[in-house]
Amino acid sequence: MKKILTSIIMAGSLLLGSGVAHADKSGGTLSFLVQPEPPTLASYVSTSGPIGLVMPKVYEGLFDYNNDGSMVPILAESYEASADGKTVTFNLRKGVKWHDGKPFTSADVQFSVMEVLKKVHPRGPNSFREVTSIDTPDEHTAIFNLKKPAPYMMRSFSAYESPMVPKHLLEGQDIKAAPLANKPVGTGPFKFVEWKKGQYIRLDKNKDYWQKGLPHLDRIVGRFIPDASTRTAAMENGEVLYAAYNAIPNIDAVRLKERNDIDVTTEGYSMINPMALIEFNTKEGPFVDPAIRRAISVAIDRRFMIDTIFFGYGKPATSALSSNFKATNLHAEMPNYPEKGDKAAANAILDKAGYKRDGDGVRLKAVLDIIPYGEDWRRAGEYLKQALGDIGIQLDLRYEDVPTWLKRVYHRYDFQMNVNYFYQLPDPVLGVHRHYGTDQIRKGTHFVNSSRYSNPKLDALLDAGAGEPDAAKRTAAYKEIQQILADDMPVVNLFELEFLVVYNTKLKGAYDSAMGAYGSFREAYIDN
Amino acid sequence: MTKSTKIFKYVGKRLLQGIPIILAIVIINFFLLNLAEGDAVDVLAGEAGSATPEYMAQLRKKFGLDQPLPVQLMVYLKNVLSLDLGYSFRHDMPVNELIFDRFAATGLLMTSTIILAVGFGILLGLLAAMRLNTWKDAVITVFALITYATPLFWVGLMMIVVFSLNLGWFPTSGMTNIAAFYEGWDYVVDVARHLVLPTITLSLFYLALYTRMMRASMLEQYGQDYVVTARAKGLTERRITYVHVLRNALLPVVTMAGVQVGALIGGSVIVESVFAWPGLGMLAFESLFARDLNLLLGIFLLSSMLVVVVNLIVDIIYCFLDPRIEVN
Repeated sequence: MKKILTSIIMAGSLLLGSGVAHADKSGGTLSFLVQPEPPTLASYVSTSGPIGLVMPKVYEGLFDYNNDGSMVPILAESYEASADGKTVTFNLRKGVKWHDGKPFTSADVQFSVMEVLKKVHPRGPNSFREVTSIDTPDEHTAIFNLKKPAPYMMRSFSAYESPMVPKHLLEGQDIKAAPLANKPVGTGPFKFVEWKKGQYIRLDKNKDYWQKGLPHLDRIVGRFIPDASTRTAAMENGEVLYAAYNAIPNIDAVRLKERNDIDVTTEGYSMINPMALIEFNTKEGPFVDPAIRRAISVAIDRRFMIDTIFFGYGKPATSALSSNFKATNLHAEMPNYPEKGDKAAANAILDKAGYKRDGDGVRLKAVLDIIPYGEDWRRAGEYLKQALGDIGIQLDLRYEDVPTWLKRVYHRYDFQMNVNYFYQLPDPVLGVHRHYGTDQIRKGTHFVNSSRYSNPKLDALLDAGAGEPDAAKRTAAYKEIQQILADDMPVVNLFELEFLVVYNTKLKGAYDSAMGAYGSFREAYIDN
Repeated sequence: MTKSTKIFKYVGKRLLQGIPIILAIVIINFFLLNLAEGDAVDVLAGEAGSATPEYMAQLRKKFGLDQPLPVQLMVYLKNVLSLDLGYSFRHDMPVNELIFDRFAATGLLMTSTIILAVGFGILLGLLAAMRLNTWKDAVITVFALITYATPLFWVGLMMIVVFSLNLGWFPTSGMTNIAAFYEGWDYVVDVARHLVLPTITLSLFYLALYTRMMRASMLEQYGQDYVVTARAKGLTERRITYVHVLRNALLPVVTMAGVQVGALIGGSVIVESVFAWPGLGMLAFESLFARDLNLLLGIFLLSSMLVVVVNLIVDIIYCFLDPRIEVN
């Protein structure tokens, strides 16, 4: 733990140095794409993507994370964990003020975690589930008391995942209905100015930001442009300088990349870890038998899907966990995930399991639901229809609008197989467990265990993996978890999505945070 | 009774007749929209990632979505009669405010489009009819056919490619220059520059329609007996065309324009989407997918009111174009 502490302090002083040195970077307006327009700005209630693009510029977290995985001190200067891992002490930054001038103190941290994140945030109850109380011995110290060690918790202190919010503007109110939602007051480098519905959100420089010399930009404007081709044109015309989360479709991004003034990166998504996958109804219908699900995983040419549909951006899945978890030694490659697909092997599995072809070569018929998030997914569905048709599984495709689809899959379980994608987040406990645990079969809750897969042995392993402070033992637990999942395949993981950031090269300093577009942009500047 | 008092009485009567029509539209819309699967809470919860059923039940209670449909309808009607269109839970704003905010943008686009389309449509139609079967007529007719047959979104995108990307004359999208935040006269110029491409795009389709109609209507009138009489009286062709034929030929075009004002609100969705114009069409489109029924009903209510009013105006314009038509 000592080592972490020093590295944080070093990163902090480096940051301080870079902030003061270049006064000439200051000024300018960054306009970037926010797609679609967010429903609200309450990032402490909703983790909806477009909110994440805007609010981490206004609210801050205790830490940020760099692309190399290191922690950057933001509202906390450092932390120390006790030997048994059950108390974590945060030393908070002094002299930080909310945008309304009130001081930021440990009481805000205590309130944000215990009253807001743990109660109303979609993922907070999971991230902070072991936190029983937070002591505030003085204004700049917050001591988290845990039931069990929670190593994954340290990955969820970013401004996007766990924003710190002002106690004095929320206390005693219904937090979900408080006016702070659309008149946000944070500690961040930019202050909220106005939200013109259907047009833009405007944030102006926080002149009293705690880090002297930052931010560089005078203003950030998030623009809403509904049509994808127009978004691309606005990028080409230099009217917007930054577009993340595929606001510019891959098909246009590969073309824009050829220009001198526009570049593309896949950095900035490692804390999000999106994984494309197929969920199966394991309780009823044609996919109750794990052998069929295994055959499907074996039959799919993942490389083809990535290259043809997603223009080469993506990595074939090799297990239930994203390969980004190699950094924490949790990922292990598994069988049943051939990169290019093996139809002969898939046919053999189905033959052996006794699924005979009829006169038309059809073994069984099923309906494939497709996530209604755009054309790419529809094409993925069309590919699957073709590929699985080859092994005798005849698919009908169903594409509905978002509310209808959510109801079908997560409320009524009225589906057979469903193409979807999940964020695996910076730790499996945060993003992967919800897919497989028996306690995650929660009718009416979206993006949890819709397969209704339940395996007591796996549940025990998931519990063990979550609370295990010893790295080697944690690795072993997750290896076993991945083996079980590669065998039972309640979910077939397809590929790790690589979202793109398309940016104008005159925008600099916006790419170091592992949070990417969900970062603060405090070091971003325009190089004229 | 003078003509003007007659018109006022007529307007009052027509507006009163409009009320039950609008109420019926509200009720039908209400039930139609509720047929769709899922509600605003599902969408909000889905976007937020994981949300517990308890949280969703709590939201439904807050939004009043846990009440039976007839109760929800009564509450809505009561609000509408007191000129309150309810609350948009998605936008966390009163519907009145949201619609008012967007109506300015839609109104601007609609007005400029109508003026451009009707104005140029009449002019081109007139020209084509007067120069019947010459090359001018042929060019105008072909132009009208092509613009009529070209999809709006494609025209919009090509406008952007040519006039924004290649020539750099106009901005690609939006209503104002976001980086600048102009004020005063600069702001007016800025909005006008942003208005040009969407207006032309949206006008082209209607322009073609009015051109074709105006041409046909002029030709029909030229064949009427009164034209022969006028010629026999020794009137010049010029006077016959501008004073006699034109006025009569305008009637069907004005009728059509009146009908289409209502459609313009909906039809501008594509143009609003392509040019990121912050109008009502886009708002309606988004609120459908978000199941934001209060907002959607509000927009429908507004457009039905607009149709009633515009048709009334058209009827009054008739009286001026053709003195034989009287209101009663």
